[in-house]
Amino acid sequence: MDDWFPLWLSVRVAFGATVIAGGAGIGFAYVLAKGRFRGRGLLEALVTLPIVLPPTVLGYYLLTNLGVNSPVGRAWEGLVGEPLVFTPTAAVIAASVSALPFVVRTARAAIEGVDGRLEAAARVAGHPEWRVAALVTLPVAARGLTAGVALGFARALGDFGATVMVAGNIPGRTQTMPIAVYDAVQAGDGSTARTGSLLLVGVAVVVLLAVTQLSARER
Amino acid sequence: MILRSAVLAVLAATAACGAPSVQSSPAAPAITVAAASDLRVAFEELGEQLHAETGLEVTFSFGSSGQLREQILNGAPFDVFASANVEFVDDVISAGCGDPATKTDYAFGRLVLWTPPGGVAPSTVADLADPSYRRIAIANPDHAPYGKAAEQALARAGVLDAVGGRLVFGENIADTLRIAQSGNADVGLVARSLTIGDGRDHALVPENLHDPLRQALVVTATGDRRAPARAFAAFVGSDAGRRIMARYGFALPGEREDPR
Repeated sequence: MDDWFPLWLSVRVAFGATVIAGGAGIGFAYVLAKGRFRGRGLLEALVTLPIVLPPTVLGYYLLTNLGVNSPVGRAWEGLVGEPLVFTPTAAVIAASVSALPFVVRTARAAIEGVDGRLEAAARVAGHPEWRVAALVTLPVAARGLTAGVALGFARALGDFGATVMVAGNIPGRTQTMPIAVYDAVQAGDGSTARTGSLLLVGVAVVVLLAVTQLSARER
Repeated sequence: MILRSAVLAVLAATAACGAPSVQSSPAAPAITVAAASDLRVAFEELGEQLHAETGLEVTFSFGSSGQLREQILNGAPFDVFASANVEFVDDVISAGCGDPATKTDYAFGRLVLWTPPGGVAPSTVADLADPSYRRIAIANPDHAPYGKAAEQALARAGVLDAVGGRLVFGENIADTLRIAQSGNADVGLVARSLTIGDGRDHALVPENLHDPLRQALVVTATGDRRAPARAFAAFVGSDAGRRIMARYGFALPGEREDPR
């Protein structure tokens, strides 16, 4: 493999997506775990949707909602001066959406696993609910939250279907590692396909091992 | 057809693609070319030669012509669109995304019947009716011009119904060749330009079995990159460019009888 741009881009896109999906995902997880409100089931379904939807369907909706003819796309173009789709930013958005449910589901289980007596004690001590979350719930659930964010990172690094639809396959600009592997297979370039695939498998195994470790120590 | 015109009119009215690019005045001139998959080998050589001669850096994004057209209509920042058929270039121009003055025919594509080494090679399209060809790979006729041509060839040879259930579709013509090369199809109807390097003879599908694969390109660049994009388009049609295209088995405009 002589071109390292796809790997470098993938790492940057995955970090960007991890920040977005991690922040939003932990927020959603907290709301879903603690909130008792109408439409909670619907919110949960919507947040989980990217796991079950075909990536192409996700990509299609992103393309129509962020594309040059959409309100969001036009607003972005007005601000930034170039379309949002077919840029690395679009790749970050696609990866964030794909990674979100993995963060939410893992983080929610971790938050629900926090011993309610600890939170009750903090409430008795007079702390408002946001301080209970900040001082007790989230720190106690930290391992599970980290596991969720790590899973989100792995998912973001590997996204193909949604990314290729909204960011395209432009070498040196939006061609991430999974797309480079696809392109190498198309070009009959077996060595790049093998190296790229091995790298992605390697990262995934390391992340999954870390997740298992984090989850195991919690018990 | 009416629906398509209406859609294109709407697209043109909303001027999807004419967005200026922020990548103005790069240190070294660089352009991105959206090119049909059958051009992969020939265009890569062409790009290297142009780079050696002028320093222009050309990046290619290969895909099926239909997919590339959709990306351009949705604002993809390509500077040249080299399609495997002229209709998709016309679509891009009607939508206001390409400069009509730069539309050029640059090649005619040809289909071959590709069989893996050791396979029983058919000599005509009609031979594919033989049930020993359990899987026949063609490109997706919905958005890949070579797929549409392959479907026409099967129909005109009178075997489309006989092979119907045995067809497998590649995403684009390079993907179709990959399906056959990996042994997942016994034969593939693929672009001659992609198979010429393997040094084996493959039966050529007669031109009268399908509408001509009239390949055209158009400059879609805006701003600073318009000039280098035009230079690339001109190089494809230059003597040096035509020599490369001919070497990969493309028929060239002006060097052949009427395609029909």
